[in-house]
This record gives sequence, structure tokens and C-alpha cells, in this order.
Amino acid sequence: MNNTENHTKKRNIQKAFVYLFLTFGSLLSLFPFYWMFTMATRTNREINSFPPPFTPGADLVNNFQNVLANMDFFGSMANSLFVSTSITVGVLFLCSLAGYAFAKLEFKGKKLLFSVILITMMIPPQLGLIPQYYIMTQLEWINTFQAVIVPGLINAFGIFWMRQYIQDAVPDELIEAAKMDGCSTFRIYWNIVAPTVLPAFATLGIIVFMQAWNDFLWPLTVLREPSMHTLQVALRTLNDARQMDYGMIMSGTFWATVPLIVIFLMFNKLFIQSLSEGAVKS
Amino acid sequence: MKKSLEEKKKTARTAYLFISPFFLLYAVFGLFPMLFSFYLAFFKWNGLSEMTFVGMENFNFIFTDPIFYEAIKNTFIIGLLGTAPQIIVGILLAFALNSTLIKFRNTFRTMIFLPYVTSIVAVAIIFGVIFSNQEAGFINYILSFFDIEPINWNIQNWPVKITISIMVFWRWVGYNTIIFLAGMQSIPNALYEAAKIDGATVWQQIRLITIPMLKPTITFVVFTATIGALQLFTEPLVFLGRNLRQEGITMVAYLWKDAFVYNAFGTASAAAIVLFFIIIIFTGVNLLLTNRIGRTKKAR
Amino acid sequence: MNMSKLLKVFLVGLLSVLLMTACGGDDDTSSDDTSNDDTTEDTSGDTGDEKEDVTLSFWEFGNTGYDVLIEEYMEANPHVTIELQNMDQNDLHDNLFTSLSAGSGAPDVAMVEVNQLERYRDAEDRFHNLKDYGAADVEGNFLDWVWQTGENADGSFMFGLPTDIGPTVMYYRTDVFEEAGLESSPEAVGEMIQTWEDFESVAQEIYEKTGKQMTDGAELVFNARRDQAPEHFFNTEDELIVEEHDYIRNAYDYTVSLIEQDLIGDIQLWTPEWFAGMGEGTYATLLGPAWMQGVIKDNAEPGVWSITTLPEGAGNWGGSYLTVPAESEHPEEAYAFVEWMTAPEQQLKSFLDYGLFPSAPSVYEDPEFLDYSDEFFGGIKTAQVFSEAAEAVVPVYKGKGYYTVNDVLQEAVSNVNAGADPDEEWNAAIEQAKSALARQ
Repeated sequence: MNNTENHTKKRNIQKAFVYLFLTFGSLLSLFPFYWMFTMATRTNREINSFPPPFTPGADLVNNFQNVLANMDFFGSMANSLFVSTSITVGVLFLCSLAGYAFAKLEFKGKKLLFSVILITMMIPPQLGLIPQYYIMTQLEWINTFQAVIVPGLINAFGIFWMRQYIQDAVPDELIEAAKMDGCSTFRIYWNIVAPTVLPAFATLGIIVFMQAWNDFLWPLTVLREPSMHTLQVALRTLNDARQMDYGMIMSGTFWATVPLIVIFLMFNKLFIQSLSEGAVKS
Repeated sequence: MKKSLEEKKKTARTAYLFISPFFLLYAVFGLFPMLFSFYLAFFKWNGLSEMTFVGMENFNFIFTDPIFYEAIKNTFIIGLLGTAPQIIVGILLAFALNSTLIKFRNTFRTMIFLPYVTSIVAVAIIFGVIFSNQEAGFINYILSFFDIEPINWNIQNWPVKITISIMVFWRWVGYNTIIFLAGMQSIPNALYEAAKIDGATVWQQIRLITIPMLKPTITFVVFTATIGALQLFTEPLVFLGRNLRQEGITMVAYLWKDAFVYNAFGTASAAAIVLFFIIIIFTGVNLLLTNRIGRTKKAR
Repeated sequence: MNMSKLLKVFLVGLLSVLLMTACGGDDDTSSDDTSNDDTTEDTSGDTGDEKEDVTLSFWEFGNTGYDVLIEEYMEANPHVTIELQNMDQNDLHDNLFTSLSAGSGAPDVAMVEVNQLERYRDAEDRFHNLKDYGAADVEGNFLDWVWQTGENADGSFMFGLPTDIGPTVMYYRTDVFEEAGLESSPEAVGEMIQTWEDFESVAQEIYEKTGKQMTDGAELVFNARRDQAPEHFFNTEDELIVEEHDYIRNAYDYTVSLIEQDLIGDIQLWTPEWFAGMGEGTYATLLGPAWMQGVIKDNAEPGVWSITTLPEGAGNWGGSYLTVPAESEHPEEAYAFVEWMTAPEQQLKSFLDYGLFPSAPSVYEDPEFLDYSDEFFGGIKTAQVFSEAAEAVVPVYKGKGYYTVNDVLQEAVSNVNAGADPDEEWNAAIEQAKSALARQ
């Protein structure tokens, strides 16, 4: 009796500690995001004062109207959605296929080929800009979405991640059993492996989508037509040469981030659903 | 289980088919730029004029450049200060977010992940304000209560490194937390329940169950975080501007500045090759160290 | 093209490797790659067969109002269509460099900032020589020093025609001057600060009486002194001469001495505290170019700031050139457009509507220009002050390594401002500049 009382007390303290830890971490994470919102509601003069204001101001609508007047916000958002979704779907499919092969299938040169994939991650990508651009001009892909999407499908990180997860999460017995039933390798992938590793899909999906959405250096280099601009590229046209209207820029930036949070919540839901389903199975 | 030779061959063929997209795409879009950089390391080229062969001169330039060594030093210091703690804090956060005792897990998860989606422009402005050199700057103001003189956060040696490290930590800890969180799903809850019945403390649960069971994910994170730390670029650029002062320049920033500020693509490529080998060696060492975690059952 | 040769070698190599490892699925790539190879051969543009109608792509940055001028041009020249693309300044220059380097994708007309122009000093083959299309005829339209910056060292090649410029002046806070018991009208302040010694003694006086510093930071003081030197970092053979004359070292020493007397602040440009200082009067003067008016107006109340000329002359910060990259297949049409855009009439419009300061001195005689006054700056005739500064700028050769050297010197100045030893910083900067230059 006494023992369990002690136990719950201890547990409550632990719980309080965990909440404190999470709340503190969340606030630190939230603060710059909150500030971005604050700036989106302020005039430039207010933002440039020192110390800057900590509370939202009155220019939320005004700033966003300026954004809409200076760029095709929704058009470029549609472009971003298309590009990021294509990359995410493609990467999830290709990386899980490759990850499955490296995790569960036997073939010659497996270790070597896998090391090659890992080594490609170690090459600093910054210098590739000019030759890569050159290849795009030769393919005549400048100003096309495939110039962003197709190279975006190369994702060594994703293959490594899927391999690591599949190796652990998919029992060999399950695969063997399916094989005995005469399933093809692709069927096994589609019906057994893919559903089992939904949490891995959700995680990789979040990461790839965010990266594709926020990337601007490469899209900027190959998507020159304003009608082809993704959000991050289009947002940069809000920058004036000398006089930055930070209220407007932050408004555009803030509203360009909101869809990401929606996407995050969607993937997170998928993540949690897949867990509860998994729990039912086991 | 008996497998016929034919079946084995068929599996192998399917496997090659499954992995081929990466290699084909890489051959078209990744390999040429890579070889091009390798080739350029032995030439002098400003991006516009004819390339002139200079042999090993580019390597000579960078190896006699004190700033190159600064860049290596900075990369390791910022990596240690900014990246290593992420792994520890990331595991703790993920453990807390995974705990069934916690309410509002979704809200916490979303908030912890926010830095990863916050625009880098906003991050630059806010870090500039918080770490302002002025007496009235946020951190300097707090320090003044402890009788500490105002610090020039973006000029002085250690303050520059510390600020960039904080920025790195802040931006990436949520990202690693999400990865750890996914890895923790494969740990059956029953293990924790059993441990609790045995009266194990939270700390014991983390040490004896989470970390050993999480080893594949930890290996993964250590691998990617090491590469990420050694290729660190965005944060110094954002915090220091295109000038990339030597107090905070990292290896990738060094080669980027050589290429796109000084138009010296030859030395930039030479630096890239050196960096590539440093990454291979250091990632290897880190993986070896990580491998020992499970065995000694002790988190570093 | 070097890169295209390398790509071909690479493709042949890749093809043979793929053939040797004869894999079933890989056949697709080899055919893919050969088709790449084919496209290497034909690099034709998009408007090959039309004779009359011409479409020109035009990249510009900033808030220029050129879209309105372009409408006007297209109305007068119906066979020309101009596709305007506005970009962020850094992005435009990065994209232009990438395109010129790869030899594909540059526009017909590109606006290039004056600093960035130096980068292309030895890349004449990447641009059309505007002198081949009649640029020499309009030389008289422009200020000499602006014109010369657009030429190569011996004057045989013209990279671009100048649009706007950024002559530097001294902006000052009338209230701070008054607080120190000094006169505050532009004439009086101009009289009071004729030399850099005057600047220093006024700074001392203001510091004693108000505790305020003379100016925001070290960077603009150094720039102002540097820009008044007849020689900078390089001679026309692109040899580093910064140690052969005293001008730059003097500019450096002068800045250092103000720092050591605590007469200038340590506020960095473009930070919130810098903007805020404009509004609050934390510093007495700002040594900035004409376009800085807009920034000041954005951050301060009207009536407190005024403008007078810099001591001992003027300098230039900013301004652009319209260039025609060599890839353009319509250089005549492109040049005609550039000439029209930079003509005095259009420059006057850009000035009146968008405050872009003209590089054509004939505009300075225009009655509308002469009468241009600004209530924000106490109703003074601002255009006249700036045009006086524009005409006082000394022509100087900068050279392709200019900004490499300038960056390290600026870093040295800011280090000294943060407490470093001036001589050590100077020597380190020169060393670093030499090392960077040797790589280019």
C-alpha cells in the first residue's frame, strides 16, 4: 500500500518534470515562429525599432495585401504544392523500394552498392551548381518543373533511412511466409513491407516535403519564368534592392509556412494512425 | 527453406531493378558535377575564362592558408557544440513525446518541429536581434545583470562560434527528435511495462531499454548528423553574411566563398576533395564509436 | 566550350561503362544519354525563324518602375516585345554568373550592379561590345567617371550603359547639431565641415557636448575616404598597388583614429539598431549615397535630417549598367532598347517617379530637376546637392579583384572597431587579399 503510494508520488514528480522539459523546449521552438508572425503584423518602422516589438500589431491584413499586390502568391503556392508533392511521392516510392532491396533481398555487390550510396552523401553539393545547371540547359529543361523534380528524386538519405527501418520493423518470417504463398517480390513490397513501415513513410515524407518546399537555391537557378516560380523563389522578388519592407516579406514568409504546418499535422496523423493499427495487429 | 538457383537469380534481378533508379538518376545528374569538381581541383578557373592546368598548386594554396585550418577547427568545434547535444536532447525529447503518460503529445510534437519549418530569413533576423552587439541587445542586456560587458556576438571568436552552434542546435533538434520518435515505435510497450513493474526509474528505462533498442536509429542519426555537421553552411552564411568571417567560417563555407565570392573554382574544388576525405574518415570513426554504445550499455 | 567538351568525354565514358556491365534495365539510360549528346549539337534559340518580331528578355532588380518605361518603348516599337523579369539583387547576379559560366540561359539585356561589373572585367567575350552598336555616340550623355566604369581599361570595349548612380553625401541630424550648440543649416554645416580634420573636430565637439557619436560606424567613414582617392587597390594592369601609395592606408588610419577617440559608433549597417538609430538620433551624421534617402524616410520623422556635401569631395555607392550578354541573338535591338532606357529623358522620369539618381548630367540642368525639393529634409533642393556630389566624384580604376580586397579591409576595420590591433589587422588583411587574389 505504502509502496504504491510512493510509487505514484514519484511518478507524478517525473511527470511534472517531463511536462516542464517539453514546455520549455516548445517555447524555445515556438518563439522565432511567433516573432515571424509578429513581424507580419507590423509596419517596417516598427520592426526596425530597437528593441523590437514583442506583441502583434495591426497590419496583418495590410501586409498581406502588399504581398498579393507584389507577387502571384497563390499561383506560386500551387507550383510549390505540385513540385513538393511530386518529389515526396517519388522519393517515398523509390527509396522504400531500394531500402527494401538493401534490407531484405540477396544480391551480388549489395554491400558495395550500399556504400556507394552512402558515399554520395559525403560529397559537398555546393560546387555542383554550375555543371548541374549546364546539364539542364543541354536537356533543355530550364523553366520546366522536371528540372527540379527529377534531381530531387535522388535521395541517399531516404534509402538509408528506409533500409534501416525495414531491416528492423519487418520480420523475415513474414516475408518468407508470403514467398511460400507465391507472392512476387513486388507484391511482398506492396502488400507487406509498405503497410508495416508507415511510420517511416510518415517521417521521411515530412522531411522530404519540408526540404522540397523550402528549397530555393536550385529552383531559383532553373525556374526563371515568373509563372514557374515556386513560393520560395517568388518570395524573393519581394526584396527590394535597398529598402526591405520586412513587414511584407515576413507576411509572405509566414503564410508560406502555414501550409507546412498543415502538412505536418496530416503526416503526424498518419504516423499515429499507423501506430494504433500496428498495436492492434500485435 | 530451399531456394532454387533460378529463384535466387530472379530475386537478385528484382533487387537490381529496385535500386537502379537511384544509380541511373545519379549517373545523369550527380556524377558529372562530381567528376567535374574533381577535375577542376587541378586547374585554375574563375568560372568564365579558359581553364589552366596548375597541377597541385591549388592544394598548395589551401594547405598553406591559415584560414583553411581555422575552417576545419571551426567545423569541428561547432559540430561538437551544435550537433552532438542534439542527439542526447533529441533522444530525451523523443522519449518524453513517446511516453503514454503525456497529454497534448501532438501539440508538443508540432511545436518542437517548428524550427525546422521556420523561414531562414526570420531566423536570421531574430538571431541578429537576440545576439545583438549592442548593450541593449537581448542577451547582452541579461548578461549586464551579472556585470558582464556587452559582447560582440558576430565578431568575437568564441561568441561567433557559440551563436552559430546555438542556431544549429535550435534548428535541427526537432528534426532529430522526429527521427528518434519513429525509431522508438519498434520498441514494444510491453518492455517498458515490465520494467515499470520491476520498479525501474525513467533513467534506467532510457539506458537499459530505449538506447539499446534504438541502436539502428542512433547509428543512422550519428551518420547523417556527422555529415550534416561537417557540411554545415547555411547557418554561418545567414549569421555572418557573405563575408563569412574567419571566426565562424566552416569548411563548406570556405569552399563556397572561394568559388562564389572569390571566383576561385580551382581552390574551391581542391578544398571540396580534402573535405570529402575528412568526412569519410570522421564518419567512419563516429560509426565505430556508436557501435560500441550498445555493448557497454552506456550512453556517452 | 570547356564544360561541353568535358560533358561529352564524360558521356562517352559512362556509355562504355554501361555497355560493359550489360545490365537489362540499363539500356534505357544509354539511349537517354545519347539523346543528351544530340542536344549538345543544337543550341539554337527559340526565335530562329521570325525576322520582324523580336522578343527581348530583360532582367532587373529593385524597385525601378522600368515596367512603365517598357510599356512606352513597346508602344513606340511594336516589333519589339520585352519580357521583364524582376529579381532579388543577389539572385539576379548569381543567376547571371551561372548562366554566363555555363554559356546558356542569360537574358538579352541584364541589369548589372556596378560592383558586380568588376567581376566580369576579364570576361569581355561573354558580352556584346556596345561600342560595336553605336555606344560611342552617346558618350557625351553621361558623367565621365560613370562612363569609364562601363568601359574596359583601354576604352575599346563597353560592357554596358549606365542607368542610375549613387553619389555620396553627408546626411546629418539637425537636432543633434543644435544640441551641441552648432548651427544646423546645410550651408552652415557645409562651411563648418570642409575637411576631414573639420569632421574630426566637430565630432569631438558633439561628443563632448552631447555624448553622442559623430556617425553610425567605421564602414562608411572608410568608404568615404577611400572613394576620394585617385588610386585604389589596382592599377590598370590589375596589379595590387595598395601598398605602393598612401591613400588607402590614410583612409584606414583616419578611420582608426576616430575609433580610438570613441567618436564613431559600432553599429553595423542594416541591423535593427542601425535603422532605429536613424529615428532616434543616436548618431549625428550618416555618410551615404543618394538612394539612402528612402531608407532614412522609412525610419525617421520628417524635418530632423538634412543633407550637405561630404568634406573634400564625394564618392559613389551603387548604381547599375544595362549589359547585353553575348548569347543574345538580337544585339542590335537589345542595344537600341538599352540606349533608349538610359537616355536622359528616361532617366529624368526614373528620378522623378522612383528617385533613381541620373547618371546623365544634362538632366541636372532640367528645370524640373533643379526645382526638386524635399519637405522631409527641411524643404532643401535635394537634387541639386546630389548632382553637385555626382560631379565631384573622381574617376578611378577598380579592377576585377576590387571587392575581394575591399571585403578584407572592411573586415579589418570592423575588427579594429571591436578592439583589435590596427597594424596587425592591416597586415593580416593585405596577406589575406594576396592569397585570395592568387587563386583567381
